[in-house]
Amino acid sequence: MTTTVALTPEQLQRAMRRSRLRSSNRWLLFVNSPGRALSCLIIVVFTLMAIVGPYLYPANLPINVNNIYAPPSLAHPLGTDFEGADNLALIVTGARYVLLAAALAAAITIVIGTAAGLVAGYYPRMAGQVVMRVTDFVLAIPGFPVLLVLSTIWQFGALWEMGIALGVFGWGGIARAVRAQTLSLRERPFVEAARGLGLPGRRVITTELLPNIAPYIGMNLMLTLTGFIYTEVGLFFLGAVSYSTSNWGVMLNNAVFQANAVTSTRALAYLLSPLISILLITIALVTLANAVDEFFNPRLRRI
Amino acid sequence: MGLARRLTARLLWGLIMIWLVASATFFLLLAVPGNPAAAQEAQDILHGMTPQQAQRATAAIFGYVPRQPLIDQYRHYLWQLLHLNLGISIAQEGTPVSHIVASAFPWTVVLALSGILISFVVGVCLGVLAAIKRHRLSGDALSLGGAFVNAIPTFVIAILLFYLFTTIWAIFPSGGNVSVIETPGFNAGYIGSLVTHAVLPVVAYALAIVGAWLLTTKASVISVLGDDFILAAELRGLRRLTVARYITRNAMLPLFTILAIALGLLFGGSIFIEDVFNYPGLGQLMINSINTKDFPVLDGAFLLITVAVILANILADLTYPLIDPRIRKG
Repeated sequence: MTTTVALTPEQLQRAMRRSRLRSSNRWLLFVNSPGRALSCLIIVVFTLMAIVGPYLYPANLPINVNNIYAPPSLAHPLGTDFEGADNLALIVTGARYVLLAAALAAAITIVIGTAAGLVAGYYPRMAGQVVMRVTDFVLAIPGFPVLLVLSTIWQFGALWEMGIALGVFGWGGIARAVRAQTLSLRERPFVEAARGLGLPGRRVITTELLPNIAPYIGMNLMLTLTGFIYTEVGLFFLGAVSYSTSNWGVMLNNAVFQANAVTSTRALAYLLSPLISILLITIALVTLANAVDEFFNPRLRRI
Repeated sequence: MGLARRLTARLLWGLIMIWLVASATFFLLLAVPGNPAAAQEAQDILHGMTPQQAQRATAAIFGYVPRQPLIDQYRHYLWQLLHLNLGISIAQEGTPVSHIVASAFPWTVVLALSGILISFVVGVCLGVLAAIKRHRLSGDALSLGGAFVNAIPTFVIAILLFYLFTTIWAIFPSGGNVSVIETPGFNAGYIGSLVTHAVLPVVAYALAIVGAWLLTTKASVISVLGDDFILAAELRGLRRLTVARYITRNAMLPLFTILAIALGLLFGGSIFIEDVFNYPGLGQLMINSINTKDFPVLDGAFLLITVAVILANILADLTYPLIDPRIRKG
């Protein structure tokens, strides 16, 4: 029962405008529910913290030995730590190391993982086999124990060192996922057409395959970020890495193993401030990953 | 052709990976600031040993002789490793690393496997439920909950469990693997103590991966539900139970591939869980040996974890064709 409708130029223009409008409205997906709007806000606030946080406070936070492990109050909204420093200040200044290192690691992961996955998927014979062997190797090494062993010779003092270490051992999963996507895209008519035209592989990969895989990578990026935040905070939490500046993992380590916050209610505020920061970021990123998925995946869209 | 060839290829590749990791740990140990092996030797000489004695003592601890040519050190180390000789602990003087590591291994494996089993059952059931109710609010809530639980770091889970159930509401013992007042052996008190000490760590392991099971099961069941053969089976009037069996058999396949990944994740998570619950497994062993600078033990524990994960991967790869006939033929 197909009927073709001849559109007048005005109708056509109106329809096109409407479709453009609808596609620009798609960005509203990120704020169309209270949960998503809040998640966006949380991410923006923490990003700002990572960028300008350390400039908001003096390099050495004021301490007060008469006011240690204080509960939240007006002067100290999140309480104080083992030497009376403000927990909120510790969270804000500690955000830079944690978040920027995770962002750097995620960038490295995305670049290596996408490149490896595309090559392995597009050239499944020789090059692909070699790349997949390396990927299998990276995947088979348990990531966290390896970082723990590495920490005995490398103290991850600067955030870029931590970022590189995390990224180098973390790209296996994305590489494998991108390869699977590439393998299935490779058989699609538009890719076969591009290959049939004699376009070089480099061009097919960058102009035909990459744009189709990008949304998938975008969603993975969010989940990778949460993974990296949790790994590096975990390293500091275990006390395996010595530290010069405070960050969230160091706070957790002090709270659990020095202040005995888990066996008494004394330092509860000190324990909860980094814990809740990590949980907030995690939940916000997971919510946004869902939104990204919906943004790019038409089957999930609510009409 | 077929299984035998696959088996040899996989095992060969596994051996190469283990060799690579072992070599990496060897060279890593050389790069430790202050070169612990050389420092040990110098100290032994200082304490009145002859250079030959000191050299032999150091070789026993680290598995290689410092100040030999690098290639000889490396050969010596690999040769010792081939005899499952991982050196001797520095902190617990005289105890072979292989003994220490082997006695810690079961504590981690039993807890981690129990955690995997429990989370598998719970996660798959909830995942199927989420798939069936996917158009309702309850299904949405289930998958959102799964995504959140999946994203919460293991150490946060461990800290919260410990705080809630040993401090706020002290119904479980606070850490350790067994109460010291019980006499070891096959008696009710000892076994009961073992179990109560294991409950919280096992729950922590289970919570760490239950979200992954839930989400994968849901996605997998939904994709199978849309398949033509399910529709055909329903139209042929097959019993509901038979159709359900068709669905589960096909939906289980992707879950199997996660099993190996989950095992690797749990070995990473065990470090946090055992640290928080003060449980004497491989994870705590690694942390303790870092703190006491007991490098032979650290490397031994790391090697054991890596070998276990690699073997689990190979096992998963080899059993996969037994479950999925499509791969067997292909």
